[in-house]
Amino acid sequence: MAIPYFPGCTLKTKATGLDDSTRATLAALGLEVAELPEWTCCGTVYPLAQDNYMGKVAAARILINASKEDDGRLVTVCSFCYNVLKRVNHAIKNDEETRTKLTQFLEEEYAGETKLVHPLELLRDDVGFDTLQKKVNNKLKGIKVASYYGCMLSRPAAEMQFDEESENPTVMEDLVSAMGAEAVDFKYKTTCCGSYQVMKTYDLVVKKVREILEGAKAKGAQVIITSCPLCQFNLDWIQEKIAEEDSSFDKIPVLYFTQLLGVALDVPVEKLGLEKNYVDPKPLLQG
Amino acid sequence: MVKDGFTSKIKEISEQNPNLCMQCGTCSASCTGIGAMEELPRQVMRLLQLGKDKVLESPSIWMCTTCLTCTARCPRGIDIARVMEALRVVNLRQGNEVLVLEDIPLELLTEVPQMALTSGFRKLSA
Amino acid sequence: MPEEKMVNIYIMNKQYEVPAGVTIMKAMEFAGYQFVRGCGCRGGFCGACGTVYRKPGDFRLRSGLACQLQAEEGMYLAQIPFYPANRSTYDLQELTPELSTILTHYPEVTRCLGCNQCTKICPQGLDVMDYIAAAQRGDVEKAAHMSFDCIMCGLCVSRCPAEIVHYNVGILCRRLYGRHIIPKAEHLAKRVEEIKSGKFDGELNDLMGKSQEELTKIYDDRDMEQ
Repeated sequence: MAIPYFPGCTLKTKATGLDDSTRATLAALGLEVAELPEWTCCGTVYPLAQDNYMGKVAAARILINASKEDDGRLVTVCSFCYNVLKRVNHAIKNDEETRTKLTQFLEEEYAGETKLVHPLELLRDDVGFDTLQKKVNNKLKGIKVASYYGCMLSRPAAEMQFDEESENPTVMEDLVSAMGAEAVDFKYKTTCCGSYQVMKTYDLVVKKVREILEGAKAKGAQVIITSCPLCQFNLDWIQEKIAEEDSSFDKIPVLYFTQLLGVALDVPVEKLGLEKNYVDPKPLLQG
Repeated sequence: MVKDGFTSKIKEISEQNPNLCMQCGTCSASCTGIGAMEELPRQVMRLLQLGKDKVLESPSIWMCTTCLTCTARCPRGIDIARVMEALRVVNLRQGNEVLVLEDIPLELLTEVPQMALTSGFRKLSA
Repeated sequence: MPEEKMVNIYIMNKQYEVPAGVTIMKAMEFAGYQFVRGCGCRGGFCGACGTVYRKPGDFRLRSGLACQLQAEEGMYLAQIPFYPANRSTYDLQELTPELSTILTHYPEVTRCLGCNQCTKICPQGLDVMDYIAAAQRGDVEKAAHMSFDCIMCGLCVSRCPAEIVHYNVGILCRRLYGRHIIPKAEHLAKRVEEIKSGKFDGELNDLMGKSQEELTKIYDDRDMEQ
């Protein structure tokens, strides 16, 4: 039976590669997802002001609509969507005032029953990395991969409960190993790329992106993987900008983890949306 | 600008107590935005402890990316990101915004993923 | 003649006694209002007479068109014939039906909070929030279809905390859809070419030369589609 799936706005435009490769890789592993019939933007960021309920309404409605499907779960892959949906669900479950305000406004009964899952968790818990290991080809053998989690997947630890250590998650590295590639550890994996400051304080984002890229390259990484369309954009697009000003700059492809997994699972390359990347990953993947 | 009793307003909106801060500076050392900040997060906390309302006008509060690294590492358990958000929110509720839609260059507007617009507007626009 | 049944309504918080069963518009005219603006087709299509009201014992704000909605006992109402809305100007031929076009002209769609007040107020019963959501993810076709019955009354705009002008986003999507997405009617283009090339000139000239009797006969004897 198909698991309800919330793609998120960006996956319908800028990050179709993440949407396509998520569906294709999960399907290749026997997991079917079904997009929610009607959905809106989740809100992207969790409101940190105690009295801001309106910023949680959209996420609450999405969780409620998912709870009306039979499965009980909701899959979402974008780190922003995952973060805000999980935090709103946590608030509904654990804070009576939030629950009352949101359910009364939406005129629905809901107490946080939907279980939000990330495809990384599906791969780890439902498929299993041992099983996955048996299904992959050896196309990624020898490729060094830096796993970049960014800020949204694992923080705050108590609410996200994403991996054992929120400062040092390892699920993506375990996935990389199961895909037959080589995981490199780098200290910037849960730092922030500058996020939405790209709209306002562009120079800050360039500085953070450069730190992250250089940190990964210093460990020998040939490719960086992420699950966040904004991290992907910042890390990828800004390389073009850096290269325009610094001809000695070595570019490094930034992929969604599902795109790399697709290569390992022999998913046809046209289903992986690699053409939207600014730094072309094909030389590396076909090399 | 809400200046009278602004510290209690910040405490109320953030549900955090800045007086718990022991000024260790772990937040500043962890902060994504410090490269663009005048007052570092530790100093923002200090200004709040002292009840200095000029903190409301500090550009630093708008450099925060709500990455929660400070929150995760604060040894006193203060959710510093919530404090920074409260400082923005009291500004935004007065119409003081830093991300002005009409001023966004068209190239950026049409190139960025729309999640950057939505999140930027939610955190930085009134 | 039986005595006419009357109801009490409150127009902009002043009580009036009006005949039961008439529309809000008629009731307002009965009460002495003369419409120069805020009234158009009187048939529920032009969107000029958007009205909001509340009824006793119900906290909900309700809406309708003054020319369609019946005056009921105890209604508190006000017309909102227009709500300030900025409209982007563009050359449709030069636009492409994609997200960047929507963001160029109405970037504020990305400020949507998902509160659903636009859908709740829509007198046409459209899923306004959902077509804005479609626009926000660049789905021009879906936004065009979902907003098709919009009459541009503007009540959605009056309710939006994100200050979005929904109906202008909707009409942009419908225009983009009509101009750039739906397939061109090939048979029409072919026929236009045929006419231009003079294929029917002979037949037309022939008809032009005929008398009224001859034309009447041809018309009466024409092939009728069953």
